[in-house]
Amino acid sequence: MAVIVAGRLMAFVLMVVAFALFYLFMYLGKGGMKIKVRTLPAMAAIPEAVGRAAEMGKPIYYTPGIAGNLNDPTQGPQVLASISIMGYILRECIKSGVRLDAFVPIQDALPLVEETMRMAFLAEGKPDEFDLDMIHFQSEQSPYLSATLGYFQRQRPASNILIGGFYYESVIMGEAGNAIGAFQIGGTANTHQMPFMVATCDYMLLSEELYAAGATISEDPHMLGSIKGEDIIKFAFLALIAVGFLLGLGRITSLIDILRM
Amino acid sequence: MSSIFQRQVVYLVTAIIVAIMFIDFFFFETSTWIGEQVQTWGMVIYNIAMGLGAIRMMMSHGKVIQRRSTNWQYSGMLVGLFALTLITGLVGYASTGDPQSNSLYDWIFSNPYVSLDATFYAMTGFYIFSAAYRAFRARNIDAALLLMAGCIVLLTNAPIGEVIWNQIPIVGRWFLDYGQVPAMRTFMMVGAFGLLAYGLRALLGREKGYYGEVAGGK
Repeated sequence: MAVIVAGRLMAFVLMVVAFALFYLFMYLGKGGMKIKVRTLPAMAAIPEAVGRAAEMGKPIYYTPGIAGNLNDPTQGPQVLASISIMGYILRECIKSGVRLDAFVPIQDALPLVEETMRMAFLAEGKPDEFDLDMIHFQSEQSPYLSATLGYFQRQRPASNILIGGFYYESVIMGEAGNAIGAFQIGGTANTHQMPFMVATCDYMLLSEELYAAGATISEDPHMLGSIKGEDIIKFAFLALIAVGFLLGLGRITSLIDILRM
Repeated sequence: MSSIFQRQVVYLVTAIIVAIMFIDFFFFETSTWIGEQVQTWGMVIYNIAMGLGAIRMMMSHGKVIQRRSTNWQYSGMLVGLFALTLITGLVGYASTGDPQSNSLYDWIFSNPYVSLDATFYAMTGFYIFSAAYRAFRARNIDAALLLMAGCIVLLTNAPIGEVIWNQIPIVGRWFLDYGQVPAMRTFMMVGAFGLLAYGLRALLGREKGYYGEVAGGK
């Protein structure tokens, strides 16, 4: 009897190899190795988004997107990564005296958003300024969307930041934001929504950049090390794809058979 | 001590649960008893969070009504409809054991809710149209290529495309099946690597953002 379930062996091996590589660079980063990772334009644009709101005296709209719940394997991690980014943006907002309104349609994410916002105010030395009314909870997709559109029309936010897991609402929110002339930063790992965000937002966190953004803003060598490891494994997979392509031309299926183990 | 409970215990519990789920997935064909228990706990926590969300929502809107803040009437409507849905659901459940068998509850869901939901979904088409209009401006070579591919795919799906030239659907299908699939799969793969790295950082307690530890602030 095989120890690992048939069909999951290579997934296990690749996961272990990836973890080992990430951990190696995290360890090297902790040991003092200078780790340089790419700049994410969307993250570099955050001061611009906050500055614009400060100049206009308008709020910033933020949403971590939608998911059935945080257990959702596709959307849940994106929402969690987004909450990390929100903490950083909120600290920038507090420093500039800008209000950030967070629209959260996920009930089990609500306490995390609340705690992150509370801690951001505490970190900036202004715990008394935290107001629970900055968090807007909606229970479903359509109420979330209608609340967002209504907010756009009533409050006319200077900047909209739509980072997290999204479904069809991404295009509506992005276009409605464009209609009010807001500066927009988008971000999602949901491939079906990426084109809509690219079309409607000024800056965009594409796919894994969403997960990497939290690490790049932290400037923690542990976190940056994992991004370096991720970049290396991506090159390894590019090579694997190239080999697979060449083998495919020769109708050799051995690589596919190995990967299916 | 409280900091240990707030942070270290949370990281430890996260790590234990992740380890259980890994073992359950890779080493057992079907979910084990402990794996099923963890998933059940997840559902229980989810439902508790849902209840907390409802209470928090009522408190927030109750405050708006009490203060007669801007648009307080909408909050009043929300609280009223929330109470109506809850009561009809509970009454239906108490009388039949099935909350959806109550005709009023069923009507609230099937008629106002479903039709409003469908209306919103239908609006997407108009927004896609205006987004496409902006994206399809040939400002540079990349945008011009996008415009060209978009027009061919559009004509592939519209009957007039085949009338103009019978090869248009074949070219369009090539774009859909071979042109965009590798790009989408690339995004899916790099997204999966990002998720793996994120998972490892969370497992090691390095990804602290959603535990309330915020980054930045220099």
